[in-house]
Amino acid sequence: MMFQVVSAVLSVYFFTMLLEIPKRYALYCSIVGGVNWWVYLLAIENSASSMAAAFFASLAVAILSQIFARTQKTPVNVFLVAGILPTVPGGGIYRCVYYFIRNNPNQSSYYLLQTLKTAGAIAMAIFITDSLFRVVQYYQNRKASIG
Amino acid sequence: MNEKLLMETVALAGKIMLASGAEVYRVEETMRYMLQKSSYPVAEAVALGTGLFVTLDDPERDTLTIARRVPARSNNLNRICAVNEVSRKFCSNQLTVEDAYQELKDIEADKLYTKRWKFLGLIGVSVFFAPIFGGGPLDMFGACIVGLTLALADLLINKVKLNDFFVNAFCSFVIAISATIVRKFLLPAASADVMIISSIMSLVPGVAFTTSIRDILNGDYASGSARMLEAIVVALAIAAGVGLGLVSWGVFWRWLT
Repeated sequence: MMFQVVSAVLSVYFFTMLLEIPKRYALYCSIVGGVNWWVYLLAIENSASSMAAAFFASLAVAILSQIFARTQKTPVNVFLVAGILPTVPGGGIYRCVYYFIRNNPNQSSYYLLQTLKTAGAIAMAIFITDSLFRVVQYYQNRKASIG
Repeated sequence: MNEKLLMETVALAGKIMLASGAEVYRVEETMRYMLQKSSYPVAEAVALGTGLFVTLDDPERDTLTIARRVPARSNNLNRICAVNEVSRKFCSNQLTVEDAYQELKDIEADKLYTKRWKFLGLIGVSVFFAPIFGGGPLDMFGACIVGLTLALADLLINKVKLNDFFVNAFCSFVIAISATIVRKFLLPAASADVMIISSIMSLVPGVAFTTSIRDILNGDYASGSARMLEAIVVALAIAAGVGLGLVSWGVFWRWLT
């Protein structure tokens, strides 16, 4: 498990070069990516479905990204985009096509559904965290304007 | 204050952000903040997925409007951060309009990572995604070779300006072919699946996907759906490329033997 988490950290680190993320944030992005995969594996080990695991992992990523964005005074997208990469359903897309070619429509539609479910779980997690932090910000602003 | 230059600056800032893949609401917010420096009572900034408008209005003066088309989008988070920094400084009066304009011009020309870093990045991503998809050291080595061919293909295809669909289809075609060749002749014990999946990860439209979700949930349906479609097109291109690669290798091999 540790091996996988370390390679998730490294893969996100290399990915920051492709996304042109400033070097001073590359380490933070890698940490977010590592946490993502760690949470995912932890959820899978505790008998979560892959969809639920993707949800929890993305939730962790989104919260951590929001925190880093505030401490580093940078757009959230920097950490969010790099951090969710390990859960992005790339394998699902590939297997869907692979079985489609192999004339196996059952497997193909199964993986298509898996891909859509994972994508939906990631979307949900990001949405929930976005809304949550907007509420937090609202109360912070109100406190500031009153106090 | 030079309103014309302010408009140009704001439009440039918006254009850079939009072309670098920022969320639409962030682009609009940044432009609106910068426009508050003007003496006009009405200032509006509208950004869509593929273009933007900036307008300053006053009943006693002529209306100023700028429209900019943003045909090509890529992922460049460095530029988003840099524009964010400039607008922050500009709004807190640490920069004049002239300086802000000049800095934005520099940002537009700036490239953080050279081609060599990109090359390394493509290989690194391929190698280190292999364990995530259940590969061992052998698969990592195979993915390294596949990543190398992907990086070479990327260099080759970027010499010619082509549309997204073709670029992604070509790159994933190369991945599929090289992975099957590596498995057939070099590493029979490695898994072609793992090598292909870990290499296509660098093409998978993760950025467009995340940004589109955040746009849609912010109520920017037009740009959100445009980005979502972009993500789907890229995913289809990857699928088509890998599929074509696998099929044509199979046919070619049977014809050969």
